[in-house]
Amino acid sequence: MAFSMFLRTPACTSRLLSQHVTRLGAQPALKPVNTERTIATINSLKNSLLKSETTPIMNSVRSFRTSVVRLSGEKAHDHSKLWVVERFTSVLLVPLIPIALIAPNKVLDSLMAILITAHSFWGLEAIAVDYVRASIFGPVIPKIAIGLVYLISIATLGGLFYVITHDIGIANSVRQLWSIKSGQKA
Amino acid sequence: MPLLRLTAGTFGQLRTFATSSALGKRVKTFAIYRWNPDEPDKKPHTENFEVDLDDCAPMVLDALLKIKNEMDPTLTFRRSCREGVCGSCAMNIDGINTLACISHIDQNLSKPSKIYPLPHMYVVKDLVPDLTNFYRQYQSIEPWLQRDKEAVKGAETQLLQDVEDRAKLDGLYECVLCACCSTSCPSYWWNGDKYLGPAVLMQAYRWIIDSRDEATAKRLSKLKDTYSVYRCHTIMNCTRTCPKGLNPGRAIAQIKTLLSGIVKKQDPIMDPAGLEKQTAQN
Repeated sequence: MAFSMFLRTPACTSRLLSQHVTRLGAQPALKPVNTERTIATINSLKNSLLKSETTPIMNSVRSFRTSVVRLSGEKAHDHSKLWVVERFTSVLLVPLIPIALIAPNKVLDSLMAILITAHSFWGLEAIAVDYVRASIFGPVIPKIAIGLVYLISIATLGGLFYVITHDIGIANSVRQLWSIKSGQKA
Repeated sequence: MPLLRLTAGTFGQLRTFATSSALGKRVKTFAIYRWNPDEPDKKPHTENFEVDLDDCAPMVLDALLKIKNEMDPTLTFRRSCREGVCGSCAMNIDGINTLACISHIDQNLSKPSKIYPLPHMYVVKDLVPDLTNFYRQYQSIEPWLQRDKEAVKGAETQLLQDVEDRAKLDGLYECVLCACCSTSCPSYWWNGDKYLGPAVLMQAYRWIIDSRDEATAKRLSKLKDTYSVYRCHTIMNCTRTCPKGLNPGRAIAQIKTLLSGIVKKQDPIMDPAGLEKQTAQN
């Protein structure tokens, strides 16, 4: 549902990015409800846009790092940008996996490893947050569960990159599943 | 041959008709959840009631009223309008959250109809769930029209809204807050203290997209934390169970797109304060 909603929105990446930066720029001024866009703010937005294109993603990564703090209920975090990154990851994986399997190379393998790990991390995190709740398990076990999710994700990423750098790569490993069978028959 | 089949059908019908009238009764069993706070040592249990369907109106609420009137006056449930506009009689009937007043009694006599209170809610008594948290959450989204400039008492002017803008509220304003959707949502079961749930979120969206409302940014910024909206995993039980045929899942998805900044709330087609400005000019 949310996925299809996302696809339907007619927003190209550059427009999206600029909107992101607009939101980022507007953030400090968000407390007074009406953020009036003066020329000065637009200029500062342009500057920030020119400076680094990765700003929105960096910001999301930062908030995803602090998710343990968020769980402790100390502070309400902005989850909306992370949501966009999550959707982008899901959408990107759809074409990426077949392309990476068709044309095995290290760049696509690395990208696939990172995105698959991120995707599964958010999925597992949601399971931990939903089911291992402080109201049932007490204050300690939920934190251990989240820690486990981090551990599993780091191990997955490490393992996948080991295959990429020290072995034949992820795509080739998957392709081998078929070549073993045909090799046996020959 | 077709004629024969036709007659056979008629005879068949006649025969069933005859047997049922011979027995005199179409008795349906209702297995109803019972729990009384005044008897704390007695555990919650289901109690069976047998109702003659020929002597009862067609809806589940009619059967419940019949049981309360004729068999057990201690049976407790909420009801008011008996036509699906108040949302009082929301309960779990044969595994589906719905309004007892607009759901027909299952005519299959071999199986008992199971009637439970709304799932995963604290029970006050029998079929009455405690909706305090639900109402408090509804209160938290400030479900009223908010303008930057509050109307002066005694000098209120009508706010203008284009037909097209008004059409955006269709499918949202009809909600009667029966809590069927929220209590069917696993995310709401697990995190009901922090996740607002489909019913409340759909009302939040109803006020967010209202062309006359000017508190959109404030409303959205209140929802952007990890729990309020984002515990929705698009399971869609809400839309499936809604007795009014509404789509809370879609409303939540719209909130998410608005929160992401990818979609922006459109400016009102008609200036809501148009009349006020006109009278000020004259």
